[in-house]
Amino acid sequence: MMDLNVLTQAIGDLEEGTVLDMLNAFVAANPSEEEAQKVVGACQQGMALVGDLFDKGEYFVGDLIFAGELLTNAIDVLKPVIGSGDAAKVGSIVLGTVEGDLHDIGKNIFKSMSEAAGFEVYDLGIDVSASAFVEKVKEVQPQVVGMSGVLTLALDAMKNVVEELHKAGLRDKVKIVIGGNPVTKEACEQIGADAFTTNAAEGVKICQGWVS
Amino acid sequence: MTDAKALQQERTKLFEDVYDGKIPKRVPINVGLTLEFAIQYAGKDLAEMQWNTAALEEVFEKLCQDFFTDTNPAGISLRNPLHYKLLGARNFVMSSSGFMQHPEVHGLEADEYDAFIASPYDCIMEKILPRIYTELNTNPVQRSIVFAKAFKAYWDELISGGMMTQKLTDKYGYSPIGGIEVLTEAPFDFVADQLRGFKNITGDIRRYPDKVAAACEAVTPIMIKAGIPPHPPSPYGNTFIPLHMAPFIRDKDFEKFYWPTFKKLVDELAAMGYPSMLFVEHDWMRYIDYLYELPENTRMWFEYGDPKLVKEKLGKKHIIMGFYPITLLKTGTKEQCIDKAKELIDILAPGGKYIFNFDKGIITTDSVNIENLQAVLEYVAKNADY
Repeated sequence: MMDLNVLTQAIGDLEEGTVLDMLNAFVAANPSEEEAQKVVGACQQGMALVGDLFDKGEYFVGDLIFAGELLTNAIDVLKPVIGSGDAAKVGSIVLGTVEGDLHDIGKNIFKSMSEAAGFEVYDLGIDVSASAFVEKVKEVQPQVVGMSGVLTLALDAMKNVVEELHKAGLRDKVKIVIGGNPVTKEACEQIGADAFTTNAAEGVKICQGWVS
Repeated sequence: MTDAKALQQERTKLFEDVYDGKIPKRVPINVGLTLEFAIQYAGKDLAEMQWNTAALEEVFEKLCQDFFTDTNPAGISLRNPLHYKLLGARNFVMSSSGFMQHPEVHGLEADEYDAFIASPYDCIMEKILPRIYTELNTNPVQRSIVFAKAFKAYWDELISGGMMTQKLTDKYGYSPIGGIEVLTEAPFDFVADQLRGFKNITGDIRRYPDKVAAACEAVTPIMIKAGIPPHPPSPYGNTFIPLHMAPFIRDKDFEKFYWPTFKKLVDELAAMGYPSMLFVEHDWMRYIDYLYELPENTRMWFEYGDPKLVKEKLGKKHIIMGFYPITLLKTGTKEQCIDKAKELIDILAPGGKYIFNFDKGIITTDSVNIENLQAVLEYVAKNADY
């Protein structure tokens, strides 16, 4: 069995070569599902390190994007040995870039980090209408709705989603977090969201606080 | 002399003084309102009107009547849907609300860096353009027809829009200088935004660092060429360089990949007599000492950061713009909005080398409270005399 701390640190350091070498060697040794789940856990802890380094100002958005890709590649290597016994999800999030906005880099960073933290994420993509948010919330009944946008026009679109959730009687059943370049405390209040952030790692912590 | 002509001379002098390092009569105001804003403000349909630009004159004139600025607030879009549609563009597309945007796409594969470095122009023409512009992905004869149609549309729109705004510039007495003339990109931003994509480049700088650096070097002459305005050198011109990736990468990556070729671009344009106007996107406070190194009188339009620090470190050498948060225009009271303008003028205006502008373009009417916007512009017009 590999040294899980070394793996966690290598993910935290974004050392792609080291991570993939370790994981390939691990998979080649034909491990049990239980061992494989421990390795997945070590990878997730590595992502938490990435988040901490971002908070400290040592990593930046570009590093988070790469971290998301690294984690996806790591899980792909592990897939044959993880088995079907999915680890229990800590909660679920319906996520999308709001209507009128096509930008998805921030949304995708938040998605990969919240999946790494154990959330089930239903990603509706970009330019998502209020009705599409409402339909998905009805269908999967998530704890959290996450809305993203880069353009300032996204703020009105976010407000519209909150209003439509109200009309559908769903507003009180979910927590709403908004993220992206234009969001501020004041915008959050006007929109009627529960929280805002321009920091994906902080966004994940906010969601963890809601489901704990 | 007509009133408009006198006003135009007065406004032009404001910018000339700032660019010449003299203290102007008043802080000049250079606020451009986007085409999208203009269309919505006039109560027209955004998606429809962008295809029918002959009717824009009335739309533009309403801006001139209702918003105080020293440069013409109206302008046609850089992202005109006509030529992008004819080209089958994947890099500029319209959203459901009619807003043209730049989605994440890439036109160069990682294993093609060597070909790009060897001959960036050929690689762009032969490999990248047909991938980004799908209508060019055809036989050479058809491709030349598509190209001709697209650029006919591009120039038709540019010229008719230019004629409309020129008429309004003269009618309302706006300064012909102070605005943007041509656009180019920092070489690393070009490689990131247009060739490899924001996502891919973050992996590339780790996997193939030397190739990324070489690609930035290779494309620099093309970026310099793109940044030369179509007129003789002038201290009053503006080559617009919207900066993008630097705040999103680590300092050591900035030093290696971003700064050397970006500095070369601005330096060489300045050496030829063409000043640059940088849109300093996001927060560049980590790099403020680098910005100091750029040629004197480089115009720097800041989005976020510390205006006091910028004034202190850069304010004697460079020309500062921006910082006014447009989200405040949406969420604040009129009084709060005016107080913010006063606060920024108090910090940035002393000693000159300051032009009033917001922290980013105002792209839609629902991005701001219109009355707050008008109140702030009026406040600056009346209360920023030296």
